[in-house]
Amino acid sequence: MSTNPSTSTEPVGSEAPRLVIVGAGPAGMATAITLAERGLAVTVVDQNPHPGGQIYRYPAVTPKSPPTPDRGAALRQHLAEHSDRITVLTGHNVVDIHPGPRLGLCGPDGFRIVEADHLVMAPGAYEYVPPFPGWTLPGVMTPGAAQQLVKSQGVAPGRRVLLAGTGPFLLVVALALHEVGVQVVGIVDTLRRRDAFWQLPSLLSDGKLLKQGFDYVSGVRKAGIPLLTGHIVTRAEGHERLKQVVVAPCDGDWIPNHSRSRPIVVDTLCVGYGFVPRIDLAQLAGCELAPTNLPGGWIPVTDPWGQTSVPGVWAAGDGAGVAGAIVAELAGQLVGLGVASSCGVVSSSEAERSAEPVRERLRQLGRFRRGLDEMGSLRPGLSQLADESTVVCRCEEIRRAEVDAAVSAGSTTLRSLKVATRLGMGPCQGRMCQPACSRRLFDLGCNTPEEIGPPAFRPPLVPLTLGQLAGADEEPDDVEPAGAKPVAEPAP
Amino acid sequence: MTSRGVDVVIAGGGVVGHATAWELARRDIEVLIVDRHLPGRATSASAGGLWPVGEAVGLGCGVIYQATRTGSDSGDAVPASLPAVFRDFLVESNRRFPELAGELEDLTGVDIELDSGPGLLFLMQTARQQAVVDNIARGLPEGFVLEILSPEEVGELEPAVCREIVGGALLPGEDQVNPMMLAEAYKRAALVNGARFQNDRLVDEILRENDRVVGVRMGEETVACGHVVNAAGAWAGQLAATAGITLPVEPVRGQVVLTQALPPLIASCLSTSSCYLAQKRHGEILVGSTTEHVGFDTGVTEEGIRGLCRGAVGAVPALADVGVKRVWAGLRPGTPDEMPILGPVAGVDGYVNVAGGFRTGIVAAPLMARVTAQAIVGETPDVAIAPYRAERFEE
Ligand SMILES: Cc1cc2nc3c(=O)[nH]c(=O)nc-3n(C[C@H](O)[C@H](O)[C@H](O)COP(=O)(O)OP(=O)(O)OC[C@H]3O[C@@H](n4cnc5c(N)ncnc54)[C@H](O)[C@@H]3O)c2cc1C
Ligand SMILES: Cc1cc2nc3c(=O)[nH]c(=O)nc-3n(C[C@H](O)[C@H](O)[C@H](O)COP(=O)(O)OP(=O)(O)OC[C@H]3O[C@@H](n4cnc5c(N)ncnc54)[C@H](O)[C@@H]3O)c2cc1C
Repeated sequence: MSTNPSTSTEPVGSEAPRLVIVGAGPAGMATAITLAERGLAVTVVDQNPHPGGQIYRYPAVTPKSPPTPDRGAALRQHLAEHSDRITVLTGHNVVDIHPGPRLGLCGPDGFRIVEADHLVMAPGAYEYVPPFPGWTLPGVMTPGAAQQLVKSQGVAPGRRVLLAGTGPFLLVVALALHEVGVQVVGIVDTLRRRDAFWQLPSLLSDGKLLKQGFDYVSGVRKAGIPLLTGHIVTRAEGHERLKQVVVAPCDGDWIPNHSRSRPIVVDTLCVGYGFVPRIDLAQLAGCELAPTNLPGGWIPVTDPWGQTSVPGVWAAGDGAGVAGAIVAELAGQLVGLGVASSCGVVSSSEAERSAEPVRERLRQLGRFRRGLDEMGSLRPGLSQLADESTVVCRCEEIRRAEVDAAVSAGSTTLRSLKVATRLGMGPCQGRMCQPACSRRLFDLGCNTPEEIGPPAFRPPLVPLTLGQLAGADEEPDDVEPAGAKPVAEPAP
Repeated sequence: MTSRGVDVVIAGGGVVGHATAWELARRDIEVLIVDRHLPGRATSASAGGLWPVGEAVGLGCGVIYQATRTGSDSGDAVPASLPAVFRDFLVESNRRFPELAGELEDLTGVDIELDSGPGLLFLMQTARQQAVVDNIARGLPEGFVLEILSPEEVGELEPAVCREIVGGALLPGEDQVNPMMLAEAYKRAALVNGARFQNDRLVDEILRENDRVVGVRMGEETVACGHVVNAAGAWAGQLAATAGITLPVEPVRGQVVLTQALPPLIASCLSTSSCYLAQKRHGEILVGSTTEHVGFDTGVTEEGIRGLCRGAVGAVPALADVGVKRVWAGLRPGTPDEMPILGPVAGVDGYVNVAGGFRTGIVAAPLMARVTAQAIVGETPDVAIAPYRAERFEE
């Protein structure tokens, strides 16, 4: 294999291991800090303009009340303190992983290959929305998208907004919207009240978990936002734009009681049913994946230190199983210790010793998470919402009926369903439709989750141009058509 | 556990296995297709080019193959031709597509996306290539059309193509389909005609008793049958070995680049000595393809993808700024003489090959399937099967 000179890790000595972390959320930042504290140089790659990841996105996107956790600022501060050892490459996407591992990296300066001795994947998770009638109407979006609109662009997603789905994130976004004057007409959670309450602390980000959970609930209550538990949005309606949603009570399997359904007039619906771990990198790296019953269904198999089945490739944070920011940070510390020990800068007994308090903390947090996996798992009612004509793959506009027809013609795995219908062949590579379609195959009694299989991600993970892949050295030598660009920005 | 027997078990559900299943099922033969989509399945990776003469004279994927084999990367590689008998086989198979498309759509509702443009247009980049193409044109028998175009004529036909060329060689009637939809349509047509389909199972072993095939084993389960059809693509050699048969099928990796969907940019299928390009029905342009002997490795390489992208941008400069949606690789079922392997094998009754589609397995599939089915039921085959028997490799 050819060696590309443009490796980015700056060796601190001739034998210095080349360490690359993908993802600068709590998991990736904690890994980097742990490694730097042990004297190792590391490069952190993240697609966003600033380190922080989803929750500590900078500028902050969490609501003012309850008080913004400053954990993100603290982590960023630590990163900065170690700037001699930690190189942060923001605005860069990892688009492919070749054996080695060698990473295909795409940034503002184009495409290049970076080699690593150890690769830590900390890519986080994304929101899950299953198909239901009307879900593709303008006005229907994820809570995360609404949060983004408000906090980074100062744009209200709508005037009358309903939040629906499951989990405490709905409360967080409801408050954020309320604070900027959006009328939040309600929060519809499929979980029954008792379950919803217990799930609250688990995804929140400060040490005083329960307290913070209560703060969110009381915040929502004070704001006068109705919280409707044990209900489900069965459809979104409107011509060309969302006009109203239909809500019905549901049972423990999330099967709606349609006879008691009622419409709610809104112009915006924010809907999300938890988070799906991003396993695209793990899959490209060739890591063994294991099925779970949580959204998305697949996570990389790791040892207690977070090393995957591919030696030198590690996984931390929500990308290795959604468990929230605090757990992500602790997992990052463990991976950091594991990598440091692999590199021989800490002995294995020292690594064990340093890991013990981290593991103890994880055990304590586990108490809060008791039953969370059970609750977070998707119930059958959810995959029954779509009807024949509901689009299930938005990218390729494939309807449920087409999927069912392919299934009855014998396509009972994701791989065969994809070639039979183009499902998952669009830009999102099945990130959106795969969880629901796997579930559909399972519900139709075709196969076990193992047999249905994980989605097959293909490079590049974000679109590059042919010109970028063709390589800069072949491009004409900076010939620029005259007048194509303004000469220079006037000096400030 | 032994299941009720069937007449024919088809091992492998790529385009070739499904096509053969349909040809048998419509002849009232009881068929069971057994398939597991292995990474590298050629049909899922394929360009879907229907370039019978182009491939036979080496102006399609073949010239890239030749460039790789001779280590030429100057764009000056010249093609090598396949035997005329196989050229005629491909032409005959290709001729059936328009009718086939209609028939399959009527039966199954699946559109195989047969798209007709000006044809296959080879871009000549050097004088030497021009000389070779002139020679090819002279060698074609009566009734074959190969039009030599000037750079200006190429520009009129394909305004997006780079002008720094010596000229073009156009083969009209050499079009394209969607290979996945072709396979899917064949599969559903077979099911409509009563075939059964066992998805996500591998044939682990072909069971023999003395000089006869008696069934197949799939994990714990065995199925008794009168015939086993080996349609296992690049894996056909491995499968044949379980019945003690030597079959020289080797995986030949092909890497592919697919762009984002674009408005119509190229009407022909374009080829050069470093890549070919075809704009598919949904607007994506498929850029193929490397030809590498690397075993069953289905990864993509920087070198491979870079070469294709350079070739594509060289041929159609506007592509430089176009987004790449995906890159991947598939495994062609390669054979030593680049021709398929069809029909029975002496000494093993009931065993039948329909393998070795190599780089023309899509265009050849209709006829490969037909003559295979005809051989099994004892009909006179549409074209002679003799040149394609496995025995040709015995020396
Ligand atoms: C939309 C959204 C909003 C959320 N909001 C809240 C909230 O308000 N409160 C709360 O308590 N929890 C929230 N969460 C959950 C919380 O973010 C996670 O539990 C926590 O951030 C997990 O940390 P992490 O380090 O594993 O991943 P993340 O924090 O997600 O960080 C992963 C980083 O990796 C980057 N990345 C991924 N793949 C690549 C790649 N191929 N190339 C380059 N970079 C890559 C991502 O862009 C991201 O910056 C939210 C999650 C999401 C998805
Ligand atoms: C990149 C690329 C571009 C191409 N472009 C063209 C083109 O433009 N025009 C053209 O005509 N041809 C083209 N080809 C060639 C063509 O795609 C192949 O020749 C054709 O698809 C072969 O079909 P097949 O059914 O024999 O094999 P495959 O499609 O590989 O199918 C074999 C199937 O059998 C399965 N299988 C294997 N072993 C077993 C077992 N023991 N039990 C059960 N199942 C098994 C495999 O997983 C697979 O699903 C191209 C090929 C590639 C890779």
